[in-house]
Amino acid sequence: MSPAEEVVIGRYGELWLKGKNRGDFERALQRNVRAALAGIDPEAAVEREHGLLVVHPRAGARSAAARLTEVFGFASLSVARAVPSALADLTAAAHALLAEALEGFPRERPVRFRVSTQRADKRFPMTSPEIDRYVAERIPPVLAPRLAVDLEQPELELCLHVRTGTSYVFAERLPGAGGLPVGTVGRAVVLLSGGIDSPVAAWMTMKRGCEAVLLAFHSYPWVGLGFERKVERLAAALARYQPRTRLYLAPLAEIQTAVRDQAPPPYRTVLYRRMMQRIAGRLARAERAGALVTGESLGQVASQTLENLACIEAAGELPVLRPLIGFDKSETIALARRIGTFSISIENEPDCCTVFQPERPVIRGRLDLCEQAEAALDVEGLVTRAFEARRAVDVVA
Amino acid sequence: MSAPAPVYLDHAATTPLAPEVRAAMLPFLEREFGNPSSRHALGVAAARALEAARAEVARLCAVRPAQVTFTSGGTEANNLAVLGLARARARLGRHVLIGPSEHPCVRDAARALVEEGFELETLRLDAAGALDLADAAARLRPDTVLVAQMLVNNEFGTLYPLARLARLVRANAPQAVLHTDAVQAVGKAPVALAELGVHSLALSAHKFHGPKGAGALVLAEGLRPRPLVFGGEQEQGLRSGTENVAGLVGLGRAAELVRARAPAARAHVAALRAELRAGLGALGGAELVEPGGPGGVAEAIAAVLLPGPPAEVWQHHLEARGVFTSVGSACQARKGGVSPALLALGFDERRAKQVLRLSFARETSVDELRAGLTALATVAGELGARA
Repeated sequence: MSPAEEVVIGRYGELWLKGKNRGDFERALQRNVRAALAGIDPEAAVEREHGLLVVHPRAGARSAAARLTEVFGFASLSVARAVPSALADLTAAAHALLAEALEGFPRERPVRFRVSTQRADKRFPMTSPEIDRYVAERIPPVLAPRLAVDLEQPELELCLHVRTGTSYVFAERLPGAGGLPVGTVGRAVVLLSGGIDSPVAAWMTMKRGCEAVLLAFHSYPWVGLGFERKVERLAAALARYQPRTRLYLAPLAEIQTAVRDQAPPPYRTVLYRRMMQRIAGRLARAERAGALVTGESLGQVASQTLENLACIEAAGELPVLRPLIGFDKSETIALARRIGTFSISIENEPDCCTVFQPERPVIRGRLDLCEQAEAALDVEGLVTRAFEARRAVDVVA
Repeated sequence: MSAPAPVYLDHAATTPLAPEVRAAMLPFLEREFGNPSSRHALGVAAARALEAARAEVARLCAVRPAQVTFTSGGTEANNLAVLGLARARARLGRHVLIGPSEHPCVRDAARALVEEGFELETLRLDAAGALDLADAAARLRPDTVLVAQMLVNNEFGTLYPLARLARLVRANAPQAVLHTDAVQAVGKAPVALAELGVHSLALSAHKFHGPKGAGALVLAEGLRPRPLVFGGEQEQGLRSGTENVAGLVGLGRAAELVRARAPAARAHVAALRAELRAGLGALGGAELVEPGGPGGVAEAIAAVLLPGPPAEVWQHHLEARGVFTSVGSACQARKGGVSPALLALGFDERRAKQVLRLSFARETSVDELRAGLTALATVAGELGARA
């Protein structure tokens, strides 16, 4: 008998809730899974099977499963053995998997164990508890003494997912990334700095199904090319979480010089950010994005007072989403570590915010004073030139 | 009459540089000479090239790029794993287990740990020359912190059951990390970290048509060995020293090529091995040595037991006819000694010295193999070799 094929089965998360859009969500997830596997297993077949996504890998099921834990839209994933939906096949596969799984447990004490059958095919001639019992009672004598049935808190749960045609047998579940498939909730422009927060904000945007178009500002030659490379690497880390990622780099130096020369120093930072908001708005229009996203939280730095956030937001027209608004720094850092951006963010690389930084930035900015300061500037010209000079990078994960 | 083209049947020792790899490297030996740590355009270009190479190695092993640490080759990667991981875990325990036929860069690094107070044990082979997993399970302990077992044997091509060993390690030595020397494995067997169940994997570019002097240690997420080389904190502090940019770019390109070509290459070398097996049958008195059985072997590496004089004599006679082979591994050739796998199979010292290694790659042609077989037959006549 040839060993059963190993597949990855993915269980949908909130997709279930989305009644009439479900088909769209499933198709988006299927597309995103194909894109995620393109780097490591381009020949993998990805199929939708009544409420499950099934991947037939060519280059190894565990690698594919691990990669798919980074794809939004799954509640959980398992490496499973695909077998014909017949009692003999199910039992044989279950016992083979059990023997393998037991190698991963110490021999000194019995392993708390149960069989859990989920029967989707109600025409199958036995009920789930009957299948549980049938499989458990026929466990080979070499394995049986190592097991102690524990229905409540099993360490090893042998799962049989009985379906029409092909059934799945597995013993482990990997947690999925949750969220919704990227692309199902439109697109947003994320203002990416070189810091810890904005990459996390980008990730959270993607998590809720929204494609993130990344926009960073550089102040070359006031800061070096190292900053651009840092942002590119952050973008590459983020690119693992959505099927395609585009990063735009727009120059801010001309704007910063003009602001330095024309505006009161305490207002510089707020004015830079109002300019960024405008450029981001232009990009959003060009990219048909419906919102802007920033990594701002409340009260972390001087520019993040309610007054300053209001001054900044007033420069644009699109809604500004701030996924980190309620986060403590420690919570943001924990997420940044998990998604793989933290180690890049903490590399010491000056960014555009450090250029012409005022000694005492305004804490409670006033919109009328912002507008008054900007009256001395060619806002339209500055914004247009910066926007037109943007550089696009197609980011590879 | 002009001498026939040399027939290179020693790909396990090293492989020729692929033309695509050479082309990718050339700019970095010429105008793109920047130091990746420099903060100007030349440096940034070099740094970008390194990151692209890192992403390719990451794809080969199905990990995130940050899990790839570049080294000067397989020896340094294995040294960093064995010494660095054991030292980093010393407070959890001081018991180290290594495979029965590890390359000296693993074995001697592990022996060096003994001087630091570690206890070292070696795994065993069973009578068939396969890794003895029951013995392994019995030797694993709660204070075992490192297990190192190669993936593909460099002398015989034996494929070791890493995934099963990984489960045993998880069950019986929960503090231990499992390292595999995959230097011989790339292109011959899957090297995805998750499939093997290992925490750490060493590879070397020149074994798969990349340049010499470039390798990598691939680590499970969050795993940090103690560094061996201190300085400018390159490679996230794990391997200081200005990077070998051209070499590592070559490694990246070679990784990309091997990923694309491995399935076809494996089918090709399997056909070569079948041809070799048939040819040896016709030669009489010669046979393939396949410890662990023919099911579990990387087909690109063939160990041949020859009749008559020691394999070294065959090797030189073949070389005189333009056919390059080896006796044992190139690394062991300098050290002498009998392979533990052959001892396990019950070979005495005399027979152990009658084993010649032929190793193939995707570019080895059937004609080359046939030329090699013809040379073997001619040399057999010259040596009057009888079993």
